[in-house]
Amino acid sequence: MIHLDNVTKIFPPDTPALKDATIHIEPGEFVSIVGQSGSGKTTVVRLLIAEIPPDNGKISIGGWDITKIKPHQVPMLRRQIGVVFQDFKLLPKKTVFENVAFALQVSGVPKGRIAQIVPQVLHIVDLTDKVDRYPQELSGGERQRVAIARALIHRPKVLLADEPTGNLDALNTKDIIELLLKINEFGTTVVMVTHNKDIVNALKRRVITLDRGLVAQDQKVGKYVI
Amino acid sequence: MFIHAFTRGIIFGLQSFWRNIWLSVATVFIVFLALMSVNFLIMVNVITDSAVGAVKDRIDVSVYFKPDVRESKIAEVKTKLEGSPQVKQVIYKSSDDNLANFTERHKTDEKIQETLKELSGNPMGATLVIKAKDLEDYPAIMGMLDDQSIADLIEERNFDNNQLVIDKINSIADSIKKIMLIISAIFILIAILIVFNTVRVAIFTHQGEIAVMKLVGAGNWFIRFPFIFEAMLAGCLAVFAVIIFLYPFLSFAQGYLQSFFAGYDFNLVGYFNSNFIVIFGAQLLAIIIINSVSALVAISKYLNV
Repeated sequence: MIHLDNVTKIFPPDTPALKDATIHIEPGEFVSIVGQSGSGKTTVVRLLIAEIPPDNGKISIGGWDITKIKPHQVPMLRRQIGVVFQDFKLLPKKTVFENVAFALQVSGVPKGRIAQIVPQVLHIVDLTDKVDRYPQELSGGERQRVAIARALIHRPKVLLADEPTGNLDALNTKDIIELLLKINEFGTTVVMVTHNKDIVNALKRRVITLDRGLVAQDQKVGKYVI
Repeated sequence: MFIHAFTRGIIFGLQSFWRNIWLSVATVFIVFLALMSVNFLIMVNVITDSAVGAVKDRIDVSVYFKPDVRESKIAEVKTKLEGSPQVKQVIYKSSDDNLANFTERHKTDEKIQETLKELSGNPMGATLVIKAKDLEDYPAIMGMLDDQSIADLIEERNFDNNQLVIDKINSIADSIKKIMLIISAIFILIAILIVFNTVRVAIFTHQGEIAVMKLVGAGNWFIRFPFIFEAMLAGCLAVFAVIIFLYPFLSFAQGYLQSFFAGYDFNLVGYFNSNFIVIFGAQLLAIIIINSVSALVAISKYLNV
């Protein structure tokens, strides 16, 4: 599903974020990528959504080699990968419904179809009663659920979650992790970048540990060891 | 697909305009001020042109014929002058008319009245009052009057008195035109820079939003179009507001200035009415282009996500 082969990324002038990293993730897996700040976790996400290009190596998602992806192909890639960020990245002037619908509108889905799909996804994340609220009228957990709904709207094969619980309290963190597990049960590959030890240890799923840009450990059922 | 994207672009543009209403109002207001200053310049231009025109219109050349010149001869001269491309109008005043005017003008002067009574006949000759099409045409007309066949019939002509005034007016008009051209160019440049910057600032406040749009897979044109539409909408509303606010001001100025142009056809509102499409159409087109280009340039900075 996701293949990073000997990928290196160096930020100017000479700060290596990822050094010769090889990571293979199979369809349907739930993988946590852990590591300290500056270990290269977020760089992996940024490479996978083609926000930055690698300096060396090869990256492919679902058989699509995105190593040298052209700028006009980037929107197509992003419509096929669901991404959730720590800071939610919602559009502040759009309602919950509009934020989720926007991901469909960008790919030209007709209005009728949007009106059909969006409520279904909002039902999955339990936000049916808040469709007309603006992001600033929601709690942190609710905002993250909107972001997850938006990420799921295209029924992606892969969901990338970059520190999805970083801004949440314990209760909301539990809700979001349960939601991600539910999504994974439906068959979506989930890649979660986190430095939350408790979550990783409780999950008992595959853990990839990064340390200063290197893949330090890759355990089938792992623990947060740093 | 294209229709969907186009319609959504317009809807998003309208939504964004409404949901950022204060920013939108501020943008419209700045564009409105810039356009108002351009319209004031047009107004000043019209007033200046009218003022110069009014003075020019009062200038003519009076040719006084000798009393013994026959009317038929003067009619010949009149016909010849009227045939000239430089001449706008030739008015004939007979010797009787001139005497009657002179008598009327000096009716309170007893000495003149007595002298006129003592004279057996009419001492005055006929007059031709010549108006040129343009101030620059007077020397050519004077050249025609210098022709020996006409010059022999003339007792006096008053062009020499006007020559100085004509030269002065021409020089003032030329200077005013040059100054207005420079001021207009500076004003328009300032207006363009202000509008350009206003649109850029408006888009700067949306940079986070643009990044999010990119991250969820929006194509560049899908992101650009609503902003361009919003900028165009702001321009259209500003032109509309200018039309609404300018006309009452024009009417007010018209009433106030009318007394300065007594006897001269001065119509400020009429000028804007008869050139409505050119004046406001050009402003609309220009502002749409400026706003769209500003939006395009400003957005391109934030599209590399």
